[in-house]
Amino acid sequence: MTAAPDQVSIKKRPGVPLIDGIDKVTGKARYTADLDHADALVGRIFRSPVSHADIIRLDVSKARALDGVVAVVTGDDCPHTYGVLPIAMNEYPLARGRVRYRGEPVAAVAAIDAETAERALNLIEFEVKELPAYYTSETARVPGAVLLHDNKPGNIERDVHSEFGDVRQGFAAADLVREEKFNCAEINHAQIEPHASLAEYDPATGRLMMQTVSQVGYYLHLMLAQCLEMDSSRIRVIKPFIGGGFGARVETLNFEIIAALLARASAGKVLMQLTREETFITHRARPQTDIKLKLGMRKDGRMNACECEVVQRGGAYAGYGIITILYAGALLQGIYDIPAVKYDGYRVYANLPPCGAMRGHGSVDMRHAFECLVDRMARELGLDPFAVRRANLLQAPTRTMNDLTVNSYGLAECLDKVERASGWHERIGRMPPGKGLGMACSHYVSGAAKPIHRTGEPHALVNLKLDFDGGVTALTGAADIGQGSSTMVAIAVAETLDISLDRIRVVSADTAITPKDNGAYSSRITFMVGNAAIDAAKNLKAVLVAAAAKKLEAKPEDIECAGEVFRVGKGDQSSLPFADVVAAALVDEGAITVKGSFTCPPEAQGGKHRGGAVGSTMGFSYAAQVVEVSIDDASGLVTVDKVWVALDCGHAINPLAVEGQIEGSVWMGMGQALCEETRYLEGLPAHASLLEYRMPTIAESPPIEVQIVESHDPYGPFGAKEASEGALAGFPPAMVNAIANAIGMDLNELPVTPDRVMDALIERRRKAKRNALKAAS
Amino acid sequence: MSASLAEFRIAQPNTVKEAVAACLKHPGSRYVAGGTDLIVNMRRGISGPDLLVDLSGIDELSEIKTDGRGVTIGAGVTIAALARDKAIASRYRALAQAAAAIAGPGHRVMATVGGNLCLDTRCIYYNQSEWWRSANAYCLKNRGTVCHVAPQGQRCHAAFSGDLAPALLVYGAEVDIAGAQGQRRIPLSELYVEDGKAHLALAAGELVVAVHLPAAPPPSAYEKVRVRGAIDFPLAGVAAALTLSGTNVGSLRIALTGTNSRPFLLAGTEVFAGRPVDDKLLQEIDRLVQKQVQPMRTTIASANYRRVAAAALARRLVSKLTARE
Repeated sequence: MTAAPDQVSIKKRPGVPLIDGIDKVTGKARYTADLDHADALVGRIFRSPVSHADIIRLDVSKARALDGVVAVVTGDDCPHTYGVLPIAMNEYPLARGRVRYRGEPVAAVAAIDAETAERALNLIEFEVKELPAYYTSETARVPGAVLLHDNKPGNIERDVHSEFGDVRQGFAAADLVREEKFNCAEINHAQIEPHASLAEYDPATGRLMMQTVSQVGYYLHLMLAQCLEMDSSRIRVIKPFIGGGFGARVETLNFEIIAALLARASAGKVLMQLTREETFITHRARPQTDIKLKLGMRKDGRMNACECEVVQRGGAYAGYGIITILYAGALLQGIYDIPAVKYDGYRVYANLPPCGAMRGHGSVDMRHAFECLVDRMARELGLDPFAVRRANLLQAPTRTMNDLTVNSYGLAECLDKVERASGWHERIGRMPPGKGLGMACSHYVSGAAKPIHRTGEPHALVNLKLDFDGGVTALTGAADIGQGSSTMVAIAVAETLDISLDRIRVVSADTAITPKDNGAYSSRITFMVGNAAIDAAKNLKAVLVAAAAKKLEAKPEDIECAGEVFRVGKGDQSSLPFADVVAAALVDEGAITVKGSFTCPPEAQGGKHRGGAVGSTMGFSYAAQVVEVSIDDASGLVTVDKVWVALDCGHAINPLAVEGQIEGSVWMGMGQALCEETRYLEGLPAHASLLEYRMPTIAESPPIEVQIVESHDPYGPFGAKEASEGALAGFPPAMVNAIANAIGMDLNELPVTPDRVMDALIERRRKAKRNALKAAS
Repeated sequence: MSASLAEFRIAQPNTVKEAVAACLKHPGSRYVAGGTDLIVNMRRGISGPDLLVDLSGIDELSEIKTDGRGVTIGAGVTIAALARDKAIASRYRALAQAAAAIAGPGHRVMATVGGNLCLDTRCIYYNQSEWWRSANAYCLKNRGTVCHVAPQGQRCHAAFSGDLAPALLVYGAEVDIAGAQGQRRIPLSELYVEDGKAHLALAAGELVVAVHLPAAPPPSAYEKVRVRGAIDFPLAGVAAALTLSGTNVGSLRIALTGTNSRPFLLAGTEVFAGRPVDDKLLQEIDRLVQKQVQPMRTTIASANYRRVAAAALARRLVSKLTARE
């Protein structure tokens, strides 16, 4: 690894409220649907009523002829596929030739009002020849099944096979080998803000302006240029306030391109607001996953070998699928020291809305299976679950067998903290009936070290502007989607320059103004953009120090700057306030613009094996958590009584925000564990409202005791790593382990809805009866 | 996928008489109070009345009155007002518990007693958008010919899921209904019919205006199962009222919601009079419930779970009421 940079020291602060927080809680913040759309047309999408069919006829003439309809677009208007991975773009914004899931966009209208637009949709004539539709991985993979995509035999989007170390030998040397199957339901991000875009095309200049809910303005910009065959210099993508992302908006979405197509076709402005149902159908979330996991363990808890097969039902198009199936395999490693790991992954096409990236991308379901099985084997061997994890810890720095770099590793401390806080040893085995404790660990990347678009450019850039007003404007392409990235940039700059936080203004995510940024995904922003912000601030500091030195007639290396005062050495006699230094610095050249950048070194970008880039990162976050549950015998309901969680985020740049992100991860993991699930009835979403898609409410929200562990990553900004995803994957297994502790039954399906618990309780009664009969005979 | 409401007119009568007259005059009209049920369905294109008769301005509907014969609750009393009424909470515990368990706080402020009693039945094939139902060839309850829950059957199986009705049923409540011929009073149990498509025995223009509770109610309790502790409709809801004579059952009434197309009183509980509340009795209650509920696949949760959970709740409520006595 490249030598670690000298880290800027940072003041220990309890954390600051997000710089845009007040605007949000006072309602001042403008989200896409709040933008001025008084003169905008209303965009609406005609969606396929069938799951799988060849399109025989699509006639939009009557819709087009309706009074008040300004434009109608169909697949004929866009012959280009779009997607997030250059190697897997197999989706048209509007279907061409074939539809592959119920709800797939087929045509769209722009009209003077919603009522007219809806009337126009009803006038569209759509004739199809239906094809067999597949709603499970199993049926889609049956030999002879009709292919969703002709170039993908067996309806397999991607299969992944890897073996590191000698698995056979590992199992042979194990004292206990166990294999189990797990099934995790498909879930959705269910971000609170439904999808929306405001697209404006100016026919006079041929320019397109797009304001939309994207987490990835840069990728969207590229896709708009490609799909609309426009010169990318004529496009501007702006991110307004965003009401949550969690991965829902981490690739270009069909309605965004459709809104742009409509805006151009109508030579005007189009507001496209999707309903909650359409937002669910747009999907791109965590796939239904079948996992077969086999582990080998020694009597002392050391793991010898791991063999894992993962089948993900990916939906009708590629999306991020290849990455998701690769992540599930890659992140089997990087948390424990396992000498042999074999992985077989299958990403399967099915006639359902496409899956994509979701918080904890690729790692969550696999980690669930792993942490559950480890726990059960520990129980069988009579070992404490904490001891088993401790027996398999890594030593940082290290490289895993699949070439992931681990530069800092605070898992041991996370374990200590939650073990103590939960009173684990005093309480485990002494819980009252129906109550249980469980624990699990998890980890996640701090940014994918290899970018999706391999341009060779730096992985992150931040520009700083300092002018006559003495304000520092930080320009970043990083999309703040509620995670607090703009606040992080402001703190990084303020700390490095040692100036007041409110002197800094952050302008973010506008492709006309801010430097390109790959976007808010894989928890890359704090690590990459944070480092770029520090670099930029150091460059600005050099300019200011030089100016101060000149003015004070001293050498730059003798200038000390702290708290907005520049002085020679430690003395007070010759010092200059910030404003004077800025004025001096502006004299020769005027407004100062500097930039800073960050690039992950090649050795951090993963191994040479196929797909080896996925999972590679400059730093992993680590988490341990303990969950306490109560089970209601009568209803089968699981109540989460309390959660103790510790996360190693390297260094908490803004502890307040870190705590919030950890709570959010735990809470989202709880939703997946307890009650969230997308269900389809012959391809129609049965869950497409916030009533039927059962996200936990405040009534289910347990007290969450958060502890932050700081392992001071040598490469992270101020030593920081990611803090927003790592704690998610540990919740479901910790909860299922707690349920096992409470009722003595192991559950292998997520979510653990009351009917599943009830089935387990009935099974337990049957078992008890059988045992009683046996004992009596 | 429409989310916009079709156009409609609104009438705002000041009296029940005017309201009934307005409704009778316009055959395509509907009564609306809190709107928490109807407006959602209208947005989904399920119901498209061209006139809404708004009941919120009728003062006589929004009172809770107590006299020697019992309590009269106006149909326009909000669920929130009912839930916080001290007299109700102290004597009609099942009712207060049911009110507090309805939807979320925001709904309870708007929703009314009458609306909850006349709640439309619900089904996973019915409470969907126009696009969804159209793609599925609609259903027996709305514009279609087949019940997707039981395609071979002749009737709609959509489930009733109001929480108040079972609580009121165990007290033997009666309802006042206003209509073309003036007012009539019937036992609440007679308001309901086991048909998801036509579960209310109301003639055109008829309006539930009040509920009567007897003065000396038996000790009671209500409990519902749902996946989340707020918002969700009951997968099964159970109310029980129990008097003891000594340690034996004096009288026992159990009523259920969420499992059938109507809320109903469990038949056959009178045989428990005089029996001690023991495991044997609880098992018989369990069996009785399991036999009489008819959950179908109208929700994502399995029908069998709703059956088993309803029975388990009934058992638990009876145990708890026994312990409390």
